[in-house]
Amino acid sequence: MSARTRELFALIPASLLVTAGFLAIFLSQESLKGVGGQDELRDVSLTYGAIFLGLCFGAHLVIRFRLKHADPYLFPLVAVLACFGLVMIYRIDDELARQQAQWFVIGLGMFAATIIGLPDYRVLERYRYLIALAGIVLLVLPRAFPPTNGAYLSVRLGSLSVQPAEFAKLAIVIFLASYLRDTRQVLVLGARRFLFVTLPPLKHFGPVLVIWGAAMVLLFFIQDLGSSVMFYGGFLAILYVATSRLSFPVIGLALFAAGSYLLYQVRPTIESRVAAWRDPFDPELYERVGGSYQLAQSLFAQADGGVLGQGFGQSVLELQGGKPVLPAPQTDFIYAVIVNELGLAGGLALLLVYLLVVQRGFKVAMLARDSFSKLLAAGLTSVFALQVFVIVGGVTKLIPLTGVTLPFVSYGGSSVMANFILLALLLLVSDRARREA
Amino acid sequence: MALDPIAVLLKFGFLAVLYLFLLWIARSAMKDLRRANDSRAVGRGAAASLSDQRGAGVSEATGLYSATGGHRPDLDALDPRLVVERAPGHDSGMEYEVGEGAVLGRGDQAEIRLEDPFASSRHARLVRQGGAVVLEDMNSTNGTYLNEELLSGPQPLHPGDRVRIGDSEFTYLER
Repeated sequence: MSARTRELFALIPASLLVTAGFLAIFLSQESLKGVGGQDELRDVSLTYGAIFLGLCFGAHLVIRFRLKHADPYLFPLVAVLACFGLVMIYRIDDELARQQAQWFVIGLGMFAATIIGLPDYRVLERYRYLIALAGIVLLVLPRAFPPTNGAYLSVRLGSLSVQPAEFAKLAIVIFLASYLRDTRQVLVLGARRFLFVTLPPLKHFGPVLVIWGAAMVLLFFIQDLGSSVMFYGGFLAILYVATSRLSFPVIGLALFAAGSYLLYQVRPTIESRVAAWRDPFDPELYERVGGSYQLAQSLFAQADGGVLGQGFGQSVLELQGGKPVLPAPQTDFIYAVIVNELGLAGGLALLLVYLLVVQRGFKVAMLARDSFSKLLAAGLTSVFALQVFVIVGGVTKLIPLTGVTLPFVSYGGSSVMANFILLALLLLVSDRARREA
Repeated sequence: MALDPIAVLLKFGFLAVLYLFLLWIARSAMKDLRRANDSRAVGRGAAASLSDQRGAGVSEATGLYSATGGHRPDLDALDPRLVVERAPGHDSGMEYEVGEGAVLGRGDQAEIRLEDPFASSRHARLVRQGGAVVLEDMNSTNGTYLNEELLSGPQPLHPGDRVRIGDSEFTYLER
């Protein structure tokens, strides 16, 4: 069975999942309203499944014709993630789900455009400084617009709101991969040891520090903590892969610890996040505005799911009087809703899907022949993995909660589009690597 | 709350399909890993990775470079490399590991990329033959110079030899 045929077969479970999910939600909503007409509903949910399969099939054809040798499992895995997202968002708010479906169509369009318009992704290397500059500008932009929840996350274009950090993530990874391709040897060879610490030569390390330092400062400036953790981690991952020097990430983590401690002392927002994380059930913190309410509710919701969950459409999203149980259930806390409805089994399955995506991503990096491809694939995969870690870790009280989107699952056009471009780049690298192997 | 049996069935169906799907993909991932191990044991062709001698030892730590690096013991013992003397777009003193062989040129396929207007896209290549590394011109337009002599046929390299292509000059070194 060829790689592409396997990919096609793997898409079938994804569309089955969409059908089953939508059907279950329709049923639960009908039983709440007490109205009949279930035959019609079944047709509707089958239609949703068919449309989903159709869209995936379209993307599959693009891959089939342009990237014959690409990894066969990455796309179906992402389709399953998208199905989780659509079903859950539909369950929360059907209007949002319609918009999310539109975003998926646009995202798939950008996916196809990237694959068709960028047959040799290595041209990106030539524009590395331009790309880095674009990433920095993207991070500055939101400052010109009014903040949401104290953070400058989005740029409004008419009725649309764009989160540029999602795209900046791609730009910074591309820059780091192409820059470190050239200098990774010098970084190791020219390194000096100073007080048991290996320091890379400043001349070659400088540009990286400038670009990445600017990104960190800006993220702090726009108060996007989740993204800053993601960027920092991604940077250390690429640097480690490029130089194979354990001392670099170790120093990086030490600096991170020191920096976070400093910020913790200075910034009240961070201090309150950490306090909420340490004791979310403290009555005083629970009542406080911006306290631990969200986190505590998320933990209640997940505990309520049990092992096998309450079932589709069975979770309680609104208290009497219309007050939501979980704030932002369609973005930051969508993982909690999923665990509530599908239980530990569903949550674990979702994490497994992410894990497999990451495994495929690193596999692509291992197969790639040239350094830029290796670093690009490893960097994109690391950033993707860290994003999942930051939000799922936050929602499950493993680390202090910082808001980033759950890739392909959370509601949000920018996130969907940026992650589809990320996927397209991974598949492009994979295609080249497997063709040569 | 009345539990609709169909809804419950659907939930379990959803989870069952999901886990079967994951099982299938995880199985092929395992197969992939096994295959990667085999092919590594057989060994690969030209080492595209440019890791230097010190980096090569540690690069096993990430595993990402070992998959294509093919650091065989005999090769590590020789450790042939090109040191940049002067070359447009390169810093002098930078080292390229030659490994099993490498192509020098201006094109994308070249392992050692020259940003030199006088270089052809695939200009010259280094090939490992037994215990020696051989330099060979690949029908370039402007020729390859070994110790300032125009290369006419394949020539074995000795440590300290100077390889020049256009304005780019390298010194060949072994351990």
